[in-house]
Order: sequence, then structure tokens, then C-alpha cells
Amino acid sequence: MNDLAIHTQGLAKYFGKTRAVDSLDLKVPRGAVYGFLGRNGAGKTTTVRTLLGLLHPSGGSAEVLGFDIGRDLIAILERTGFVPENKTLFSGITPAQLVHFNQGYFPKWSSELVARYAELFEIPMQTPFAKLSLGNKTKVCHLLALCQGADLLILDEPSIGLDPVITDLLLRVLVEDHVSEGKTVFLSSHQLAEVERIADWVGIIEKGKILLETRLEDIRQNYRLIRAAGDAAPTISSPDLIAVQSSENFRSYLVTREAEDFAAMLRAKGMTILEILPVSLEEVFLGLTRKEVPCISGKPGTIAAPA
Amino acid sequence: MYLWKAWHDCRARVMLYILVALSIGVLCGLDIITGANYNTIWMALPRLHRFVRSYDFSMDITFNALHWVVAGWSLSGAFISGAAFNWEVGGYGITLALLSGLILGSTGVGREYGADTMSFVLTRPSARRNFILTDWLVGLTAMVIILSGLVLPLLPFLAAVHAKGPGNILAALPALWVLGAAIYGLSHFTTLVTGSASKGMVLSVATYLTYFFLPTALHEWWHSDALLRAAEWTLAPFKRGAWPLSAFDWGATAFWLALAAGFLAASLAWIKFREV
Repeated sequence: MNDLAIHTQGLAKYFGKTRAVDSLDLKVPRGAVYGFLGRNGAGKTTTVRTLLGLLHPSGGSAEVLGFDIGRDLIAILERTGFVPENKTLFSGITPAQLVHFNQGYFPKWSSELVARYAELFEIPMQTPFAKLSLGNKTKVCHLLALCQGADLLILDEPSIGLDPVITDLLLRVLVEDHVSEGKTVFLSSHQLAEVERIADWVGIIEKGKILLETRLEDIRQNYRLIRAAGDAAPTISSPDLIAVQSSENFRSYLVTREAEDFAAMLRAKGMTILEILPVSLEEVFLGLTRKEVPCISGKPGTIAAPA
Repeated sequence: MYLWKAWHDCRARVMLYILVALSIGVLCGLDIITGANYNTIWMALPRLHRFVRSYDFSMDITFNALHWVVAGWSLSGAFISGAAFNWEVGGYGITLALLSGLILGSTGVGREYGADTMSFVLTRPSARRNFILTDWLVGLTAMVIILSGLVLPLLPFLAAVHAKGPGNILAALPALWVLGAAIYGLSHFTTLVTGSASKGMVLSVATYLTYFFLPTALHEWWHSDALLRAAEWTLAPFKRGAWPLSAFDWGATAFWLALAAGFLAASLAWIKFREV
């Protein structure tokens, strides 16, 4: 059995001249929580929809749970729980009826889990879906995905509309009930704090291309932000450098490993090292994806990933 | 599963149409009785005759009004037969097939695009064609029941009036079924293409009007009556005088059956390739 839950090679999806997903290589290990991060329009949802057969790929290949997305889509859908971004289900039907509709499709459906999660998430099971609040709609979408006995959960913006208590419950359920059973969770989200809390792996996508795919633990242990000052703007080329931010005489370097060696190189080029700090997922994400913006003072700050 | 959903979405309309069909069937039956040979009826069903005669005046008004409503609504009558307000069951049948086909077709899976629920439907582990086939199973079953509901109540009335019995009207029923299936198919397909029940309905009605207006326009403006003859041929089982005692019409039935099959094939192809 393939040890990857999702594996794409050069996956592409074009809409006319727009390259929504462009030569995307993803490797999502089985049994992991994978945070799939990106700005609006980066290609996250297009990737998810392509993996689930809702969009036809323009190029490349992809396997989900070892099944090819072009040939074995039904097998993939039988084993994959999906919470879509829009959280829209049949409007005139109650959550209890949605459960009735859904359970026939999934041989591993668990009515025990329905009862457990309906109570845990406080879902009004007899209220028509259209009359539910956004938070309750999100809960129903999760209920249907969590109870189908899926080997892979693909959750697109999973916490939209949820209050902090339910969000906390959901994250615990994902880890304690599903990941602990060897199932894989693929989280496509903007909520970096949530991803940072439960993810083992993160992938950051921008303009349809993967910028970074690594273990979250690697970021915690090895990634560092080096703040330096100096008149010179040294040209530095290093495979460990993933982003540089400049502002007047100050620079911040985001490096993936060997921060002390990198700092020594900066000192050798006349820079003064102010501090070397561990970084959060948010700092890595911003370092890789934020765009150049003028400062409020009118002087430009340069924030860019090195070529 | 989806069969449950398809039935859940259209059951109220189906029940309504069945009631309407049965009501029209009974009213048409009473109309047949009132227009028939009184001596025959008197001999056959004296009690019913006395009952009908007591309501004769109000019945006449009711049916005249109904005929005018149907004539005004069903443009096909004016263009095909030129005597639309006396179509009897054929006119009501084509009108009911049109109404129920358009409405039931628009409750199909295509409207899930507009409701933003298609991604949920298509991520259920089932071949896409199954959603279309399930819609058709429910829709056609409903159409057959509805359109039969229009005709079956006539049987006792016809039996009372005609000594030879009502066998021919049953032979004409399949033509009405396949006409309903074709209209259902048109509405189902246009809803799928537009992703919206209302837009699909507008497109279907536009297609329907084109079907009836174009042959007449060609006939009036360019004196070409080939299309008009073709259109008349396809509607022959529903023309004045053809009902209620028409024989089975193989040609027209085959035409509407082929059209229904064409719309089904188009829907299957569309859902296979359309992205969400």
C-alpha cells in the first residue's frame, strides 16, 4: 500500500489563460494532519476540487489513497470525507434527513458517531438546513464527513462560523477520534493558529505552485528569523534562505536551518546581528507569501522571497 | 440515497398534478356524458343522467370557461388544429403533459448547481449518470401516473356512452406518456445546462414556443408548409377528433420517444463532462 494519502505530480488546472494550479507536487503522508495553506486565490480550493473529481485536471497526475483521480474516482469518494468551503447542503432538508440521505452511500457509516457528534456539537437535528446558523451548517457538514468512516478527511476552511469552544472540540475530535485511528486529515485553511495546533505537515501554495512543504516540527526546531542592521545591502545566496524583508537599514532573514552559520556570513559582509528568533508558522507563511507594500510613512519596505 | 432526495423534492408537485389530472379526467368524463346521446345514457345510467342534468347549466359554463383557458394557454391548439377550444382530452392531455413535464423536469439534479449543492452531490460515491437516471426514474414514473390519471377516470364514462368499450383510449395513452417524457427531458436538460430551475424553465418554454411558432411563421411568411405538416404529424394523436377514441399512433409515439431518449443522452453526456 502506498504510504501517501495524497500524491500529486505536476498537477495543473487552467481556466483559460489563468493557471489556478500549476505543476503542483504534493506529498501528504498517511496518518498525518496536513495543513494546506495559501492566500485567497492561491489555488487551494481548486486543488481540492480537482482531487475529488469536481474539476478535470489540465495536466499532471494525482493519486488519493493510492487511487488515480481519473480512473478510480468512486473508490476515492467512498473513502474520503469532504467538507466543502461553502457549507451549503440541501436547504429544505433537516440534518436528520441529511444523515438518512448520506448513510446509504458509505458502507462504513457509523450511526453511533452520528449520535455522539450530534450531541457533542449541539446540532439541532430536526431544523431545516436553510434555517440553521452558519456555525450549525458547518457542524452538519462535519457531522456527515466524520461519520462516514473515511480514511481521509479533506476539510476546506473547516472552522468557518464555529465559535472557539466548538472549534476546540472539532480539533480534538479530529486528532483523538480520527488521526489516532491512522486516518489522514487534509486541512485547507487560512486559520494558521488552528493548523499550527494540530498539523504534522504544512504545504504553502501561492499562485498555484507549492512554495514550501515541510514538517511543522522542522519549522519549530530549525527555522529562524535573523534581524540584522547595516548600511550595506549584501547580496546573499543560500538554499537555506527563504525570505528577506528590508526596511531602511534593517533586514530580516528567514532561514530554514543553520541560522548561526548564516548570521556569521552576514557579519562577514558588514551587517550587525540584532537577534536570532524562533519563528511561528504565521511568520513563515507571511515571509513566503506577503507582497511588497508601501509603508505608512511613504517609504517602501521590501518584502520578498529570494529568487 | 438520491432516489429518496429526488422523490422528496418533487412529491408535493406530483401529488398536486395527480389530483389535477384526476379532477380534469372526471370533469371531461362528465362533459362526455352531457354531450352524448341522452337516450343512450338514459338507458345506461339513468341515475347519473339525472344527476348530470340537474347541473347541466353550470356544467356548460364551467367547461366553456375551461376550454377557453386551455385554448388561450395552449398555443399549440391555435396553430395546429385551428379549433383549440374544443380539444377535449387531447388538449387537456397535452397541456397537462407540458405543465407537469416542465415543472418536474426543473426539479432535477441540474438545479443543484444553482443551489451551490452540486459539489456535495457529486462527492457522494456514485457514478454521475446515476443521478440523472434516478431523476428520470422518478420523473417518468410520476408523469405516467399523472397522465394516466387524466385518462383512466374517463373509462367508466366512455363505457357508459359507447357500447364497444373504451379500449382505444388506452391505446392512445402511450403517445401521451412519451410526449410527457420528451417535455420532461427537455426541462431536465435545460435545467442541467443552465444550473437553475427558473432559467431552465424559461429556456424550455422558449424551445416549446419555437416548436409551435416556427412552422406557422414559415408557413405564413414564406409559404413553406413542410415544417407545419411535420409538426402536425407529431401532434396527430392529440388533435381534435383524434381523442378520445384514437388508435395507437406508432409514428408520433416513436418521434416523441426518440426525442425523450435524445434528451436523456444529452443530460448523461453533460453531467459527465461538466465541472463544478
